[in-house]
Amino acid sequence: MSNRNAFLFFLVGTLASLVLFLALTWDTHQQVDALTNADKLSDQVVAGKHVFEKKNCNECHTILGFGVYYAPDLTRAYARIGAEGIKTVVLQPEVVFKDSFRKMPNLDVTEQEADDLVAFLEWTSNIDNHDWPPQDKKFTKSADQRRLEGAGLSPGAAAFKEYCMSCHSIGGEGAASGRPSTRWAPSTTRPPSRRTSQLPPQSIRTRRCPPRTDLTEQDRQAIGEFLAKQN
Amino acid sequence: MQQTATVRAGGIGMGVRDEKLVPYASQRVAYWYFVVALALFVLQIVVGLWLAISYAFTIPQSIVDVLPFGMTRAMHTNLLVLWLLLGFMGGTYYLVPEEAEREIYSVPIAYIQLVAFVAIGVAALIGFGFGYTQGRPLLEIPTPLDFLVVAGALLFLFNVGMTVLKGKKTAILGMLLGGLVFLALLYIFGMPFYRNLTIDWFYWWWVVHLWVEGAWELVTAAILAFVLIKVTGVNRKVVEKYLYIETALFLFTGLAGTGHHYYWIGAPRTWLYVGGIFSAMEVLPIVAMVIDTFRTQREKGVVIKDKVVWTFALGTAIGHLVGAGIWGFAHTLPQVNYYTHGSQVTASHGHLAFFGAYALLNFTMFWYALPRLRGVVKFKSSTAILGFWVMSLAVLGLGVAMGVAGVLQTYIERIMGQGFMTAQAQMQFWFKVVLFFGVFILLGVLISFWHLMTARQAAEDAAETP
Repeated sequence: MSNRNAFLFFLVGTLASLVLFLALTWDTHQQVDALTNADKLSDQVVAGKHVFEKKNCNECHTILGFGVYYAPDLTRAYARIGAEGIKTVVLQPEVVFKDSFRKMPNLDVTEQEADDLVAFLEWTSNIDNHDWPPQDKKFTKSADQRRLEGAGLSPGAAAFKEYCMSCHSIGGEGAASGRPSTRWAPSTTRPPSRRTSQLPPQSIRTRRCPPRTDLTEQDRQAIGEFLAKQN
Repeated sequence: MQQTATVRAGGIGMGVRDEKLVPYASQRVAYWYFVVALALFVLQIVVGLWLAISYAFTIPQSIVDVLPFGMTRAMHTNLLVLWLLLGFMGGTYYLVPEEAEREIYSVPIAYIQLVAFVAIGVAALIGFGFGYTQGRPLLEIPTPLDFLVVAGALLFLFNVGMTVLKGKKTAILGMLLGGLVFLALLYIFGMPFYRNLTIDWFYWWWVVHLWVEGAWELVTAAILAFVLIKVTGVNRKVVEKYLYIETALFLFTGLAGTGHHYYWIGAPRTWLYVGGIFSAMEVLPIVAMVIDTFRTQREKGVVIKDKVVWTFALGTAIGHLVGAGIWGFAHTLPQVNYYTHGSQVTASHGHLAFFGAYALLNFTMFWYALPRLRGVVKFKSSTAILGFWVMSLAVLGLGVAMGVAGVLQTYIERIMGQGFMTAQAQMQFWFKVVLFFGVFILLGVLISFWHLMTARQAAEDAAETP
């Protein structure tokens, strides 16, 4: 091959790939609105993206699999731990990760910023990205099921799902896998059964849980009764 | 080891200019680029050790609140980009006068530009400490500083462009300049704020992927071609022909190969096919480069005089193949990537590829240029070779340890569906291994840095000993 032909090979090869790449880029712009539910990309979602960037979330977490691998992927965080879970974690990481071997810094997130973040993560959790990440498929499913089946639950079970399952697991369901090494929060089936079942329901306290101001005395009672029956 | 390296100006085959070690006075600007780049590399590794500690052990909340992992990680990666780019720029300023056969257009601009980049870098690093960031990995530099980066890049391109324009034009210079212009243009796509996260990542990769698997490959190919001609004295025409063929393959596979980053971001399904096919071919140009390097070595009449430079040149060819080629191929197909995406497998690939392809390339240029700039013709090569092996084997060990952690993560988290922290608990041991090898990387780089700055002229008779 002469040097002239080698140069032509270089030009043709590069241009061919470039044309294909730019054509697919155009195609991506045509389809991306539908794939990402762009109609739901509200100002609050954008505000949440600003918070996400301002607080440097992506330097520990991945989202859509990109970023840093120090902390869990956030693409489906909303499906995984819900609005309350996200807010609890970002507002009081030092409480949530008290027993964890990996900590999260308290980033001085305000209530408003936390709400914006939730909106952003709710939006990302619905991006059609061929069901990635694989480990969170069960949460997207269970989020759907929760919506469908929530009505049939007992008051205690419903309250437990809403308030506790973003940190605790039960019967293999919920945020933590139930293994001690998870060190996120103990599985609620693990406390000594006799002692728990002998306790009056109202003594089931949220002592080491993040303070829940929205938890009414009625909810607490219902959760206590529900948990007492589990052992 | 009694080997010594012989350093000759011009090189055989090029033949004629033996009179001066550094033929053009303006090549000296490269010196400070190289020294600063090396210092920043050392700093990058020190920060990296802290990151490994953060993975391997529990850091108390009180420290995490003041010195978050994310802040130090931003420093680690920005130091990487800064030192590699300064190395490329220094390499360019060293190579261009010899190729264009004239002095650099403006020496003051070259120094102003170095000071500007270092100032931007220092401001950015201090800024990260105070939470002044764009919050996007690798592109953290806040927008006002981005404009300064663009201004600095334009100064650099103007200076190099004018030198080439007024001097002799060679294929190497064309490829180098093309790569540098491409590099600068792509940076612009990383600057705006994108409302849609999917579009954000789409253009983020125009910077990151098209830099490392496009523009930087052109710069690398040009610098390697220059060093090949100088060190082996092979015919320029042959080197140029292979330069075209290799870069053609790099760009043909690399441009459409960007698709392997678009599998899971909410982009159309077409990318799974195009990204998968083209990125599977991305290993071809690297294989071609390795074959080409060995072919050059075996060419009739070629005598490798400069053993150190040649060790690093072979090292970068093989490191490129292992880190970028093989490790990249291992998880680039969508069927595999679905499980490995965003895990420590990527981190393993990143470390091996950046070191093999770009850190060693920079060291090849450092070892070619720095002794000359210091007026050293022949020096004992054993320490340099030791530095090469310590850092190369340590990076390999680190990459393998991260790879094992990544496979564990993929299996426990992605396939078994266990929690993130369950997987991390199993991976912790391997981060201790990462830390262990990290210490040896630091050692290897310090040996190389120290020797680059202090290697003395060896006695003539010692230099003759093989």
